[in-house]
Amino acid sequence: MIDNGFEPKILAFCCNWCSYAGADLAGVSRLQMPPNLRVIRVMCSGRVSVEWVIKAFSSGMDGVMVLGCHIGDCHYIDGNHRTKKRFVLLGKLLGALGIEPDRLCLDWVSASEGQKFQDVVTKFTSRVKELGPNPIVAA
Amino acid sequence: MIDKVRQIISDLLDRGEADAVLALANEHGNVQPYLYKKGDSLDNLVLWPKYSMGPIVQSIQNADPALKLAVVVRGCDDRALVELAKRNQISLFNVRIIGLACTEAEAKECACAHPYPRSIDVGDKIDGIVSSDELAEVSGKDYGGRLQFWKDAFARCIKCYGCRNGCPLCICEDCVLEDDAWVKAGEIPPPFPIFHLIRAYHLSDKCVECGECQSSCPMDIPLTSLYAMIREEFSGLFDYMPGADEDRKSPLVTSLEEEPIREGTA
Amino acid sequence: MADVRVGVFICHCGTNIGGVVDVPSVVEYARALPNVIYAENNLYTCSEGGLASIREKIAEHNLNRVVVAACTPRTHEPLFKNTCEDAGLNRYLFEFVNIREHCSWIHMHAKDDATEKAKQLVAMGVAKVQWLQPQQEYEGDVLKASAVIGGGIAGMTSALSLANQGYEVHLIEREKELGGLVKSVNRLFPTNVDADKVITPIIEKAKANKNIRLHMPAELKDVKGFIGDFDVTIYENGADNVIKVGTIIVATGAQELKPDGFYNYGKMDNVVTQLDLEGKLKQDKKWIDDLAGVTMINCVGCRIPERTYCSRFCCITAIKNAWILREANPKAKVVVLHRDLMAYGVEFEEYYRKAMEAGVLFLRYNLDKPPQIIGKEKPEKIKIHDELTDSHLELPCDMVVLTTPLVSARDNEAVSKMLKVPLGDGMFFLEAHLKLRPVEFATDGVYVAGSARWPVDITESISQGYAAAAKAAIPMSSGKIKVEAITSFVNIGECIACGTCVLACPFNAISVVDTDGKMHAQVNEAMCKGCGTCVATCPSGAIQQKGCTDQQILCMIETLAGGL
Repeated sequence: MIDNGFEPKILAFCCNWCSYAGADLAGVSRLQMPPNLRVIRVMCSGRVSVEWVIKAFSSGMDGVMVLGCHIGDCHYIDGNHRTKKRFVLLGKLLGALGIEPDRLCLDWVSASEGQKFQDVVTKFTSRVKELGPNPIVAA
Repeated sequence: MIDKVRQIISDLLDRGEADAVLALANEHGNVQPYLYKKGDSLDNLVLWPKYSMGPIVQSIQNADPALKLAVVVRGCDDRALVELAKRNQISLFNVRIIGLACTEAEAKECACAHPYPRSIDVGDKIDGIVSSDELAEVSGKDYGGRLQFWKDAFARCIKCYGCRNGCPLCICEDCVLEDDAWVKAGEIPPPFPIFHLIRAYHLSDKCVECGECQSSCPMDIPLTSLYAMIREEFSGLFDYMPGADEDRKSPLVTSLEEEPIREGTA
Repeated sequence: MADVRVGVFICHCGTNIGGVVDVPSVVEYARALPNVIYAENNLYTCSEGGLASIREKIAEHNLNRVVVAACTPRTHEPLFKNTCEDAGLNRYLFEFVNIREHCSWIHMHAKDDATEKAKQLVAMGVAKVQWLQPQQEYEGDVLKASAVIGGGIAGMTSALSLANQGYEVHLIEREKELGGLVKSVNRLFPTNVDADKVITPIIEKAKANKNIRLHMPAELKDVKGFIGDFDVTIYENGADNVIKVGTIIVATGAQELKPDGFYNYGKMDNVVTQLDLEGKLKQDKKWIDDLAGVTMINCVGCRIPERTYCSRFCCITAIKNAWILREANPKAKVVVLHRDLMAYGVEFEEYYRKAMEAGVLFLRYNLDKPPQIIGKEKPEKIKIHDELTDSHLELPCDMVVLTTPLVSARDNEAVSKMLKVPLGDGMFFLEAHLKLRPVEFATDGVYVAGSARWPVDITESISQGYAAAAKAAIPMSSGKIKVEAITSFVNIGECIACGTCVLACPFNAISVVDTDGKMHAQVNEAMCKGCGTCVATCPSGAIQQKGCTDQQILCMIETLAGGL
């Protein structure tokens, strides 16, 4: 993890059945992570509105994560199919506007993947540190 | 070209295939939508400047759902009608489309890449404008350059809602852009990029390339360039063009089995 | 937000939280948040003392919103919600903040950062709770009737189980007789009892039971509705018949794979499957005396790249039939060629041993060097490569029996579409959860038993039949279902009936209806599972999810953005 003095603010939306549970498992397993992350819990990653993420970036979040169940394993059958399509698209739209798509992380973490949660969060935090502060709110 | 349109309109009305035909007329020096009935003179018929016909069809059908309507449409109108029909705002069942292809000059005016409807009754299909100068300029920049370009452009926004009002596919009764929770009243310009990115996302599967947004904007914000970029990204991911297919549902709403993301794009 | 009075309870969880997060400072921070009337810390909020304190403080301070900051909601949320309810506060006016699994336990060496994070998480929870509204859980009626699709051993077991509890059961069978696959079987392992002697009494009971309405032969045509109120349309006696039930059990079974293309099946006489052999054994057995040798080849058409699974009970079927043949003709060379033997548990292992002692030869073969049948119209000899000794054997063989797996029934795809339940590997039905919910579907009110779900033997079919019946009886016995109030709801005035949410819903729970001339979307609360996918799809926010409205989430984002 580079140390450039910048501590990013990172918001993650996690689904109750998979990624939130995976995050819990990471906690139970005492897997240490950078403290930049704040988690908002939803029942399904399909609930995560693109507008929320736009609002988050517009309000100054340096990085946003949307973490759901693996495709095919969604507790609500295929809610996460829409999640995938929406956020792949949002990444492209952000790029079109000049906002680095790497500031948006879309990934899939199951309830048993505590290790993966730690991994994904640590890597993303590191990447956002490299990218620097949110360019939207910066002068 | 206009004579041919007149011919088609009077034929439809005479034969009773349409109760009324929606087109444009020059009334007292102003061009406006006009509903021609059997026996009306077609002298005041004009084809340009274009007018967004989608919302007009909606109003007519709300007032008289049983009316057998014909409507003169350009490519963008045709696409708008398809998308409105998909969303239960109009019915294409009793509607006869009179397809009008745009000229090169007309296509250039709107920087339109598809200046023709699905089926053409009048005019010749031309290739259309793939890229405007503005679009080329923005696409060539790196992230920092692009961001500055759009920040500068949207700094001019006075939140007049002209783009939203002019768009044939902005049909929500309760627009989130007027909801204080998302876009606070009184903030001019609205904080970047929330107003315009939310609208762009909402229209990513609906934009029919009519250019009304930019022509409505009093501040010369290059909206058609933004939407051209949006359409390109969307088409690249899903191979989907709004308005092309009445039966195809938006990829954003369906499962990955029904509408997958194209390989090698995600 | 008129008169919102928030109480905040922050847990030390012993030293789990308290050892990292400076809990008292978080409490002080919470006290200063807008509309927080009361805040305290507890050693263990989930203890009797902690819960009592919550109840007391709700009363004492007239709290109408409660926030607990502790472990994960996935453990104790129901407990705290119950506590609120006990104190007279609607259970949906409660918010749980995770400062253990998501904070103290993962930032153990960054105490200041962890404390800062805990404060922000609490602030987010306090912001959200103020937007929560009291909710009533939807209660629907459940018809005390069930439809069992499939009259095999699993289906009949479920039907009898439910009928004996007093429920009306409609048993729907596609063929002209009950019994399914068991009717084609000769004897049953591991006791070698006559299959007819086992299945016939069950069939008689099913036919005689007053509560079982038998629809046979009848084809399933359509299913509409939801738990408690299904309309099942079947085609019987030349006409459609609509049956109204509260629950449905899928027991449609499976079929044996016919191994076309393997080992000359269909091209040579006397190359048969185990089921073919069962049929032969049910008739006169004189032909066994003339046998010089029988070779059984196991795992034909399964445990291969095209079909990777093991069908579980075919090994023991092969052992059974091999033993029967050997006992009937001790002079015949009876060989079982296998790629691992599935003879688990006490009885099956014993059974296998007895077959070996009777003289059945068990040899391991490899797909790289498969056995070769020598003969013209029918087998005369068989050439086998024994893996263990790495040598070739040639044995007399007049009959080759191919042990093939069960594959999914031919109608599974159609049935799965009618019931809106998924199919998994091999087009077998996919249960809600492999370990935790083996006889249920994600769709409420529909259950599965027997080989429809995965190849099983009779013991397992019967167990699953009982299990599915037990599960189906739960909603039927109370006659009511209660749905957690996290469902979606539509603001009729804002809705333009574009139908987008209807398409987005994975459970088909939304439809467009007309109310006093206004078309709008409507959510069927009994079918809504509370995923919220519809809400994210609606551009105008006309549809929202209880407990997860845009307003409730936005205030959390704003709190986070503002207080940084």
